[in-house]
Amino acid sequence: MKGIEILRAYQEEIIEAIPSTIIILDAGLKILYANRNFYVKSGKKEREVVGEKLERVFSSTLIQKTRIDEKIRQVFDTGVPFSGEQLRYPGGLFFFYKIHPLKEVDLSIRRVMLFMEDITELTRLEEELHDSYVKLENAYAELKDEDEAKSDFISAASHELRTPLTVINTYLEMFEDGMLGDIDDKQYEKLAIIRSQTDQIIRLVGDMLDTLRLDSRKFKIQKYPIKLEEIAKTAVDEVSKLADIKEHTISLRINGKLHQIEGDAQRIKQVFNNLLTNAVKYTPNKGRIEVDVKEDKKRLLVSISDTGIGIPEKEHEKIFQKFYTVGGNSLMQESDRMGLGLTIAKGIVEAHGGRIWVKSDGEGKGSIFYFTLPTYD
Amino acid sequence: MTKTKLLVVDDAPFVLKALRDTLEAHGYEVHEASNGEEAIVRYSEVNPDVVLMDILMPKMDGISAIRNIVSNDPDAKIIAVTAVGKRGLEAECVDAGASGFILKPFKTRDLLVTIGRLSNYEGN
Repeated sequence: MKGIEILRAYQEEIIEAIPSTIIILDAGLKILYANRNFYVKSGKKEREVVGEKLERVFSSTLIQKTRIDEKIRQVFDTGVPFSGEQLRYPGGLFFFYKIHPLKEVDLSIRRVMLFMEDITELTRLEEELHDSYVKLENAYAELKDEDEAKSDFISAASHELRTPLTVINTYLEMFEDGMLGDIDDKQYEKLAIIRSQTDQIIRLVGDMLDTLRLDSRKFKIQKYPIKLEEIAKTAVDEVSKLADIKEHTISLRINGKLHQIEGDAQRIKQVFNNLLTNAVKYTPNKGRIEVDVKEDKKRLLVSISDTGIGIPEKEHEKIFQKFYTVGGNSLMQESDRMGLGLTIAKGIVEAHGGRIWVKSDGEGKGSIFYFTLPTYD
Repeated sequence: MTKTKLLVVDDAPFVLKALRDTLEAHGYEVHEASNGEEAIVRYSEVNPDVVLMDILMPKMDGISAIRNIVSNDPDAKIIAVTAVGKRGLEAECVDAGASGFILKPFKTRDLLVTIGRLSNYEGN
C-alpha cells in the first residue's frame, strides 16, 4: 500500500484522531456525523448530536451571530466552499471554521463538511505577541531617544573638556620645557604626575568619542600601506616606560619578513597601546610581557601575552563589551580607562577586516590577546 | 629678521592667552580675534603669515571665516584648530580653504611644525 491507498485504509481512524472538529450535514442542516474531537470539545453525547438539526446542537446566539446556517445553505446552492472565518464563542473561546461541499459522482451536493478548529490558545498567543511587540516598539523608541541624548551629551562633554585641556596642556608643556623658569627635581616629580594624569584625561576624551563612533557604526578608517612591525616597535617602546615602573620585562619578536598591510597606522597603534597598557596594568610587579608578530596565510597574527591576573573563560567574550573590566568591577579603578580600551581595539581590528580574541587558562594564569590583520598584496 | 606674524582666533579667552604665551615664547608675533567676524577684520589689518582658526565660535564660525579670508586672499595660510572631533570636519575645513588641521588638545610641537611648514612655504 502507498499514497492514497493508505489514507483509504485508515480513513476512519485518521478522522477520529485529528485534533480538529469535523461535522457532516445534509441539506436540511441535520447533523449526520461528528468526529471524536467534537464530542471531546463540546461534552455532548453522540445521541444528542447525530440526526439532530444544527440549531439544536449549536447555541442560537452563535448561529445568529455567525449566520453559519445561511453560509451552509449557500454552499449547498452554489457548490463553492466557504473559505473560512474566525468566530468568537461565548466565554472567550475562538474558533476557525470552513464549510466544504462533498460532491457526489453526478456532481450534485447532498452533504457538506463543517470543519472547526479551536484557536483560542493561538489567538491568545497572537494577542500577547502583539502586546509584546507594541511594548517592545515603545521601549525601543524610548531607548533610541535616550541613546541619542546620551550621544549628544558625550559629544558636547568631550568638546567642553577639550578646551580647558588645551589650556592646561599648553601651560604644562611650557613648564616642562623650562619656558616658565627653572624647575627643581621635587617640582619636576610632581609635574610628571600632572603630565601623566592630564594625558590620561586626554586619552579618555578620545576614547569617549571613539566609543560613540563605534556605536553609530561611523567608525571609518583611512587605509594606507603600512609596516606592522614598525608600529609594534613604536608601541612597545612607548609602553616600556610604564612597564619599567612595575619592573616588567617586555619583549618584541618579529618572525621572518612580513608583508605590508593596508590600514590606519594611528588606529593600529591604538590597538597595541590598549592591549599593552592592559597587560602592564593587570600583571603584578616583575611580570613578563611578550609581543609576537608573524605572518600566517595572508594575514598577520599578533599575540600579546602576559603573566598577569588572567581572565576566567566565561568572561572571554564580555571583556570586549563597553565599560567592562576584569573582575566585574566596571567602576573606574585606579588608573583604569573606563573599560573602553578593548571595545575600541575590537572596533579598530574589525574595521580592518581582522579578528581579535583572548586565551587565558583562568585566574592567575596570565592572558594572551591575539589579533589578525589581512595582508596587502 | 622680522618675526612671523600669527593671528590666533578663538572664543575661549584662556585658550587665546595660553596660545599667546607659548607662541610668543617661541618667538612669534601674536595677534588675537575672538570670533569669525573679528578675524576677517583683523586679517586685513594685520596681514598675518599664518592664522590659527577655532571652528565653533559665536557670531561667525571658523569655516565661514576661512572661506571669507581665502576668497579675498587665496594665499592665506590658515590652520583649523578645533575641539570638535567630528568625522569629515577636516575635509570641510580643507574645502573651505584651510591649509592645516589640528585637534585640541594638541602637542605644542605639532602646532609649531605646522606653523613652520606654512610660514616657510611662503618664505621660499
